Amino acid sequence: MLDHCSISHKGGVVLWSRSFTPEASHLASSPSSPVNSLIREALIEGRAAGEKYEKDGYAVKWTFFNDLELIFVVAYQRILQLTYVDDLLAALKALFIKLFEPFLTTFVASLHAIKNGRITARDAPKPWNFAKAFDGWDGIFDKILKGFEDKAAQERKSRFRTVSAAPLDYSPPSDDLSTIPSESSIAVQDEQEISRNFQALKNKLRGRGGRRGGRGMMRVESGSGRDSMPASDSESVSKKAKGKAQRKWGETAPSETEMASLDFSIDKLDSSKNDHLSHDLQSLVDKTSLGTRTRDGLYEVKDWDFDTKQDAITRALQNDGAKQPSGSLGALSSMFARLTGSKALTEQDLKPVLEGMKQHLMKKNVAMEIADKVCEGVGESLVGKKVGGFQTTSNAVRTALSSSLTRILTPKTSTDLLLSIRTKLSSPLPSAQQRIPYSITFVGVNGVGKSTNLSKVCFWLIQNGLRVLIAACDTFRSGAVEQLRVHVRNLSMLGVNGATNSKGRVELYEKGYGKDAAGIAKEAITYAKDNDFDVVLIDTAGRMQDNEPLMRALAKLVAINNPDKIIFVGEALVGNEAVDQLTKFDRALRDFSSASGAGKGRGIDGMLVTKWDTVDDKVGAALSMTYVTGQPIIFVGCGQTYTDLRQLRVANVVQAILSD
Amino acid sequence: MSVTPEVIPVTNGLSPQTLLLLSFALVVGLLTVIAFSRRKSRSRGNALLLAGPQDSGKTAILSTLSYNQTLPSHTSLQVNTSLVPLSPVRSLPVVDIPGHPRIRDQFQEHLTTARAVAFVVDASTISRNGSIVAEHLHHILHAITSLPPSREAPALLILAHKCDLMKSGTSSGSPSEIAISRVRMILERELEKRREAQSNGMGIEGLGAEGERSDMGGLDCSGPGGIFKFADWEGGEIDFAGTWVNVGERKDENGVDVDGLASLRSWLEQISL
Repeated sequence: MLDHCSISHKGGVVLWSRSFTPEASHLASSPSSPVNSLIREALIEGRAAGEKYEKDGYAVKWTFFNDLELIFVVAYQRILQLTYVDDLLAALKALFIKLFEPFLTTFVASLHAIKNGRITARDAPKPWNFAKAFDGWDGIFDKILKGFEDKAAQERKSRFRTVSAAPLDYSPPSDDLSTIPSESSIAVQDEQEISRNFQALKNKLRGRGGRRGGRGMMRVESGSGRDSMPASDSESVSKKAKGKAQRKWGETAPSETEMASLDFSIDKLDSSKNDHLSHDLQSLVDKTSLGTRTRDGLYEVKDWDFDTKQDAITRALQNDGAKQPSGSLGALSSMFARLTGSKALTEQDLKPVLEGMKQHLMKKNVAMEIADKVCEGVGESLVGKKVGGFQTTSNAVRTALSSSLTRILTPKTSTDLLLSIRTKLSSPLPSAQQRIPYSITFVGVNGVGKSTNLSKVCFWLIQNGLRVLIAACDTFRSGAVEQLRVHVRNLSMLGVNGATNSKGRVELYEKGYGKDAAGIAKEAITYAKDNDFDVVLIDTAGRMQDNEPLMRALAKLVAINNPDKIIFVGEALVGNEAVDQLTKFDRALRDFSSASGAGKGRGIDGMLVTKWDTVDDKVGAALSMTYVTGQPIIFVGCGQTYTDLRQLRVANVVQAILSD
Repeated sequence: MSVTPEVIPVTNGLSPQTLLLLSFALVVGLLTVIAFSRRKSRSRGNALLLAGPQDSGKTAILSTLSYNQTLPSHTSLQVNTSLVPLSPVRSLPVVDIPGHPRIRDQFQEHLTTARAVAFVVDASTISRNGSIVAEHLHHILHAITSLPPSREAPALLILAHKCDLMKSGTSSGSPSEIAISRVRMILERELEKRREAQSNGMGIEGLGAEGERSDMGGLDCSGPGGIFKFADWEGGEIDFAGTWVNVGERKDENGVDVDGLASLRSWLEQISL
């Protein structure tokens, strides 16, 4: 069912992991493992928040334990609908931390040996033995997983049963299933409570039976039919057999002893292993008995040795439950805890602050969707973290938000356009081929300033001693070609290092109006190749992102000419629309260009944000744009003249967004 | 009747000689304080920084150094700092900076505390992503050269890591030598490209702060024509070493090295960290 499961530190050290198939274990050790891509593409870039992440046919779910900086990750085949993964993660988290907290605390401390430039030397380095420290965990993990898988199988069966028995009213499954998820949650669950729940379940079932009247026979029939049905759920046969044994639930109320026999989360057949396991855990507890927080809980180990029926899982969770209501001292104690720096942030603490931050981001013109996601990601990284000393919650949120914004805005690919142009021009050619010029396509919606900023880029390239050809592929808007002609005339009159004019350094390739843009671009590139131009700038017509024929035409241009860079031009004034524009442009380019040409479709390679001078500090559009595409902002246009082209400074933008 | 206030100089009871002595003592005292604080600030930089592109094996090196065993690892989300015991009395703080492009800039915060920087390169994949690695190294070279002159520049080591994965092919020599020469060759070529692209280019101003140039220096060389060679780099000396680790293995009982970090360890001793 599952493919891979791992528990690791945020610093990258994997504490424990297991792969369930050979392919997954092979993949797990490679750089392209699901865990690695989750961290790279979702967590570091702050993209996915709270949902699952999908990659290469894998679905990945994760949860954080921020206090100890741990990540719990589960990867499984995407086509499987595994309902229990969230519960499994929660249970793993609770139990792992319960069992190994002292060891984990020292381990995490060892990875923070230097704080604020000061060495906080801890205890003398002792021999670290990770294999021994997590000795018993394999067995416990097996148990938990088995428990959840069995429960899920049960659940599925009960759902099938109700659906097949009462096809006319589909709503009942919800009411009888409602008790089952509450069991599977990690809340306090002891045998008695489960027994109570079963009683309630039984009552409900009985009530339904009465309602159904004489449909009993049909239920049995359909039940047997279900078993012979080819298993759409890739369950093993043995698990099915167990499912059959459980079908007598409805008849008698399960007593506490029966509960034990029904509790499949204990591996009773393998009692010798269980003994061994408990022994391992005993040694763990001995070693870790210094921990004061879990002292009361761990002292009960004595009981456990006698009573092997009750498992460690229930025990640990019971302790959890017992400790929770102890916060009776109320506000005073929480204040004290805050002053001593041991208060962990809760979702309730964070909620109002995050809401305020979200409003603030939206005031700065960040698209609503993006503000939502960014704040959610920040909240996720803060829940459970301990704020020390006099740092307020809002301060902590602000710091986290600032680092998150910096991360989102920092380009992950090189933004050095000049370098990549020179690299391409100087790269050795395979044969006696002619040198192919570097081509850049400018795309965007109407009126954002594509032609204007194209001419600014052109000016900059000329200043760097390159010969530039401008291809007028806007064959639609009247005056577009003339506009470019004026620009070319102006640019060729401006001097470049020493020379009085830059004649011959820039030319316009035009073919009038109404022609096929892709064809003109193709011809322009050929012309540039023959006439020894270095760079071709392709100006395209502005188009609405929803206009499918025009988007197809653009994708055709991209597919045929395969430009080195596709730059999306967007205005800084855009608000919520930024998300829609970019996603649709990107998707249309990818979809249509992959359909017409061979291989993978091309997306947007970078952005140029125009009209920057009109927004003051409401620079949220930059954040929205980088968040949506994950591509860098290469240039910023900030004025009317050819020199008004700038590079984005991440620190400035972050400051502008956070300023009041 | 008026009392004219008499001004009594403070130095009344002191002879000019004592005054001279006193002022001399004051100067000496000040100098001691300054020297002491300078020494303190210098002794603060004593850490080893592990930088480099992602998947090059920084966290693996860290865990091998500090726990004597190589733990499996994935892409790091945050900086790891750890104390590595070098001898019974001394331990070396090691900082492992994540290599993801979005968070790798954190090395600049740690550069002030660094005595040495080890730039870890995956020797088995360098031929494929040389330009990306070179860009990262350029950032580090730039940061080192733009340190204030009062601070001693940290020693720089380029670690050709994962030597054991190198396909040695026909050429003779130990895997680490081949790895080192390949890494050196590719990085020099890529850095030269970057230097050339910038030397005769005109950068774009950064938005906001005036006069701040966006292009990076740090690639100046004293050699003929300024062509970038690690040996001629003006920022200081650059050493090379080849290493490897094996995930899951640990030092055996009698303390014999089973990892390939011997050359890193000897380098650390050589620069007396």
